[in-house]
Amino acid sequence: MPITAEHVGRSYPATKPYRVSRAKIAEFASALGDRNPAYFDADSPIAPPTFAAVIAAQAWGAMFDDPDLGLALRRTMHADQRFDIVRPLREGDDVVATLTIERVRSRGTTDMVTIGVGLATVEGEELGTATSQLIHTREETTA
Amino acid sequence: MIDFAAVTVGDELPPLDLLLTRPDVVRYSGASTDFNPIHYNDRLARAIGLPGVVVHGMWTMGAALRIVTDWVGDPSLVASYFVRFVAPVVVPDDDQGTTVQVRAKVSAVSDDVIAIAIEATHGDDKVLGAAKAEVRRRE
Repeated sequence: MPITAEHVGRSYPATKPYRVSRAKIAEFASALGDRNPAYFDADSPIAPPTFAAVIAAQAWGAMFDDPDLGLALRRTMHADQRFDIVRPLREGDDVVATLTIERVRSRGTTDMVTIGVGLATVEGEELGTATSQLIHTREETTA
Repeated sequence: MIDFAAVTVGDELPPLDLLLTRPDVVRYSGASTDFNPIHYNDRLARAIGLPGVVVHGMWTMGAALRIVTDWVGDPSLVASYFVRFVAPVVVPDDDQGTTVQVRAKVSAVSDDVIAIAIEATHGDDKVLGAAKAEVRRRE
């Protein structure tokens, strides 16, 4: 059963809390070749803005596992990405991610799916949103 | 730190060239926990029609933002960031690697935010489309 516009608005339970660590921030910033001192601050390092995608991606599993949608990660391309940031992620934040299907457009065997992943602390402070447009190709079915 | 009051539309940010080698791609796989084999295995990359191993679009997105954060100094001022992934960046299996060129200019200034239009190219290919970041003004 394929994903359709009827699935717009569907959301999934929040992910398990992800603890942002100094070591992971440093590893991620280094992998981007980015030595900005804010990421290596001795007292309170912040994460690079796109680090939010690492936590947001943990929310994708629930949607790809949803049997109603028939999605497969290996048939999915990332078309665009947006981050709206309330405040940077910091060392010590316990972050939960909640995915909502925002838009579905289908043409032939291709589905354009926009998902919004809201990030918040376990205390309920909103941190921002990572919005992704995915291009999904349906599996060919034999009639 | 830049002088926010002096920023005007059309200002060009200092250019940024990103050198990229296979080890950088492996490093980003680990840091991001995105272990899609098209980022380390030529055979599997070719199987889906790519010329070879490509870097993660999210690496290009993240590394290109440095043109903005190096300019403003404080990355906590970034309010939003959007990119469209237009073309993959193929990373050769050699010691020289390849270079992504990033260029940016101020596209809008309001009381609250400065918008910056970003271009990223790899050889003749535009790799990011409609890329735009907004930074909060701090006087």
